[in-house]
Amino acid sequence: MEDTAGAATEAQARPARYDDRIVTLFTACAVAWAIVGMSAGVYAAAELVWPGLNLDLPWLSFGRLRTLHTTAVIFGFGVSALIATSFYSVQRTSHVGLFAPRLAWFVFYGWQAIMVLGGLSLLAGVNASKEYAELEWPFDVAIAVVWVAYGVVFFGTIARRKMAPIYISNWFYGALIIVVTMLHVVNSLALPATLTKSYSLYPGAQDAIVQWWYGHNAVGFLLTGGFLGMLYYFLPKQAERPIWSYRLSIVAFWAFVYSYIWAGPHHLHYNAVPEWVQSLAMVMSLILLAPSWATMINGIMTVSGAWRRLRTDPALKFIVLSLAFYGLATFEGPMMAIRSVNVMSHFTEWTVGHVHSGALGWNALITFGTFYYLVPKLAGRPLASPRLANVHFWLALTGVMLYVLAMWGAGVTQSLLWLSLDELGEVQYGFNEVMAAMAPYYGLRLLGGLLFLGGAVLMAVNLWRTFTGVERAADAAPAALALETR
Amino acid sequence: MADMPSDFWGGWIVVLTVTTLIALGWLVANVYFGPDDAEEIAAHTWDETLKEGTTPAPMWWFWLIFSTMIVSVVYLILYPGLGKFAGVLHWSQGHEIESSAAHYDERFGAERERIAAADVAVLRSDAAAMRAARSVFMVHCAACHGADAGGQAGLFPDLRDGEWQWGGDAAAVQQTIAGGRRAVMPPWQSALGDDGVEAVAGYVVALSAGRGDAPEHAEAGARFQALCSACHGPAGAGNALLGAPALNDDVWLYGGGRDQIARTIAGGRSGEMPAFGARLDATQIRLLTAWLAAREETATAAAR
Amino acid sequence: MNLLALHKRIERNSGLLIFGILVVSSIGGLVQIVPSIFQDSLSTPAEQLAPYTPLQLLGRDVYIRESCSSCHSQQIRPLLAEVRRYGPYSRAEEFVYDRPFLWGSKRTGPDLHRIGGKYTDDWHRVHMRNPRDVVPESIMPAYPWLAQSAADRDGSITRRLGALQRLGHPYSDEEIAAAPGAVDGKTELDALIAYLQSLGRTRTREEGL
Repeated sequence: MEDTAGAATEAQARPARYDDRIVTLFTACAVAWAIVGMSAGVYAAAELVWPGLNLDLPWLSFGRLRTLHTTAVIFGFGVSALIATSFYSVQRTSHVGLFAPRLAWFVFYGWQAIMVLGGLSLLAGVNASKEYAELEWPFDVAIAVVWVAYGVVFFGTIARRKMAPIYISNWFYGALIIVVTMLHVVNSLALPATLTKSYSLYPGAQDAIVQWWYGHNAVGFLLTGGFLGMLYYFLPKQAERPIWSYRLSIVAFWAFVYSYIWAGPHHLHYNAVPEWVQSLAMVMSLILLAPSWATMINGIMTVSGAWRRLRTDPALKFIVLSLAFYGLATFEGPMMAIRSVNVMSHFTEWTVGHVHSGALGWNALITFGTFYYLVPKLAGRPLASPRLANVHFWLALTGVMLYVLAMWGAGVTQSLLWLSLDELGEVQYGFNEVMAAMAPYYGLRLLGGLLFLGGAVLMAVNLWRTFTGVERAADAAPAALALETR
Repeated sequence: MADMPSDFWGGWIVVLTVTTLIALGWLVANVYFGPDDAEEIAAHTWDETLKEGTTPAPMWWFWLIFSTMIVSVVYLILYPGLGKFAGVLHWSQGHEIESSAAHYDERFGAERERIAAADVAVLRSDAAAMRAARSVFMVHCAACHGADAGGQAGLFPDLRDGEWQWGGDAAAVQQTIAGGRRAVMPPWQSALGDDGVEAVAGYVVALSAGRGDAPEHAEAGARFQALCSACHGPAGAGNALLGAPALNDDVWLYGGGRDQIARTIAGGRSGEMPAFGARLDATQIRLLTAWLAAREETATAAAR
Repeated sequence: MNLLALHKRIERNSGLLIFGILVVSSIGGLVQIVPSIFQDSLSTPAEQLAPYTPLQLLGRDVYIRESCSSCHSQQIRPLLAEVRRYGPYSRAEEFVYDRPFLWGSKRTGPDLHRIGGKYTDDWHRVHMRNPRDVVPESIMPAYPWLAQSAADRDGSITRRLGALQRLGHPYSDEEIAAAPGAVDGKTELDALIAYLQSLGRTRTREEGL
């Protein structure tokens, strides 16, 4: 790619307008997918408390609803938010409008169509049963096409940039695009039998290694890398301070790209895969702690000095809290990747808690914070109700804490009950007894999820009112005081 | 023995892993000890206030990544990871469970052997053994027979009621658990016809109530003797060798109402107990036998 | 070599940046996946392992469709408590005909790798109609619709077997041709039970851990 093309004409000049309509629509879709995906999650959580809620309907049964939940939150909410924020920031850090805007619209319609039809196909039971890659092969083909188009728009924009160095948020978004392409294509290779059924190219244990290389790095490059791109742009913008340490950013980025990709087989500790694969995954997971915490500290120190604004700025509050959860989850992850710890954590609710401390505490919170900053910018008016955003903040924090604590308790309990031997060496508890012990934790988890979803609904209302200019009189005064959105 | 790659791929793993780890270390070293470029970094502004900061990377982070890398190297020396190198400890998943099994035998072996050979009556009064037996029942049996061994779903028999289709002495119960059982009652609809099924069902109900010799059942009783007594016995007392249940009592697996009995006669039944001899060891089977005998005793005492 | 100077070039050239990310992110896969593909122990079936019968395969596809692996693992770890609860720990050679693998990542319900033969078909029928009829603490959904639909409702069994044959599963052309007859009249519930009853039969406690 020739990077200097066009740079000669108007160096440092900024275009009259950026393509923000597509950003707005992706943002709106992200919020909608958040509500859909989290509602599916909450309903699925309720089914674990009251199994009667499955209502004997195939499409409402837990297995199908859970795949809809993960797909809608990761690929509906997460990816829509990532494309929205990457399109917004890549233009502003490159000082040009989007490359091939019509291709960008193809990405928008293509992705949303895949999500809607794919979500329905999951409810209909069209399911490849590879975790976080459940959509069947026609969707896999479509995803690859749309994803490459996204890459062309993104890197095309960068290639036409008016700034010599590529800003760091774009390294992370770039890694998201490139690595997810590789992961998706390799993991999805399958031989179709019918339009809705295919068989993986890899048998058994090899399929497991490929799947977790994909599965863990969908977390790595999508839920971590992509959102780090969001962090590196929106946090310093919101704090109005430079990124704390460029040097740290460099090593954090490359160490992250290098070590994350090895970590997958820590999902297969003590499984029927060779020990050497497990060991390499474990040590790379430990090393991964360093780049993760480099980014966390880089973010926190960037805000340092602007702490006052945490009292008044809901957007910044969400982003800083998300960093705390990022630090927590990226510490917990390497710990769970240690062989002997994994004996306890594997197959238990602890894993579910870990995932949600990342997904709710990190991904969702940073996205919420970013949206509270972004939507007023897009709408050209201040946030309709900072007070409502504040309520959302506390609902989200309480919700995620309840969720994570409940799952920790549940996971440790499960593990202890599963592994305990009595004085004669018999396995002490029947699985039915373990199930019975889960009931209170599942109830708490449902409550946590409900609070978190409730907060997200408040956000949707708030952002909608911001965008359409509907403001309640009661909110107007504090809004003027509290918010400095320009 | 850990599961190892071939020579070529072993080398491939070692070379790629080691060189790239060294490269990562080199990058870290460069970041900390490379030339100062603060001025150049500070010169760029991407978007209004958006800049890169010039703070050098903090030293504690150097120690963080340094220590994770050292731990990794040590781990890969101790454990299998670098291709064909098995690690100094020669650890493998297989070895690990073998050594836990050896510890297990050391700790529990003698006691378990004693239990496997112990008298059922003695085990019944051994509190620890009964706790363990209950656990075995919960893990392996409760899904069918219910957590209280009371039977369920109209398919899986109550194990407390003293009615043992295949014999209730310890040897028979153990044989049932280890080898499994399969009972087949053929359908009699075509042999008996609708009226015949009804009549024989009526006779069986009377038999159950101890009124099998009532004159109104004489004709049906004769058909019972001709068709059913070979398995269930002339008096309907059952035959444990065939798994034919007693009909002259009030215990019914598939339901004791007249209609349910008629359905059983017309359509036949097949009941199966899977063999657990390949899943449970002799100690566990002994424990279960003793525990079931204790359940039976408790239930009969309660009934009295 | 000064990597920071190299980085100055990379961050000024999007082509180099793409190339750099591709190279660095490929290493893990090159080390872990590529040698695994060539490690015969992962793709050689156990001696007694047979490919799924047509009915079992349809049952497995029902298991996949309903995402049973969301809650049930099929992977007994080499830990004593697991082996005592579920049976001999799982070996790679037992999963060679599994596409995709269904080891799962969560045990909301118990592991199913050695469930084959533990319960009777009748138990499975009752359990699928309403799990709480046999396990009161269960929170598993009921699957009453499985008994109502034909096992091969879209008539694709020969295409399914054909795809697996192309992937190297040892099905003969005659077996494939006979498959529609073999599954005719069976329900999805029959298929699912046939699959569950086939699981984990390659090893028992008597052969060791």
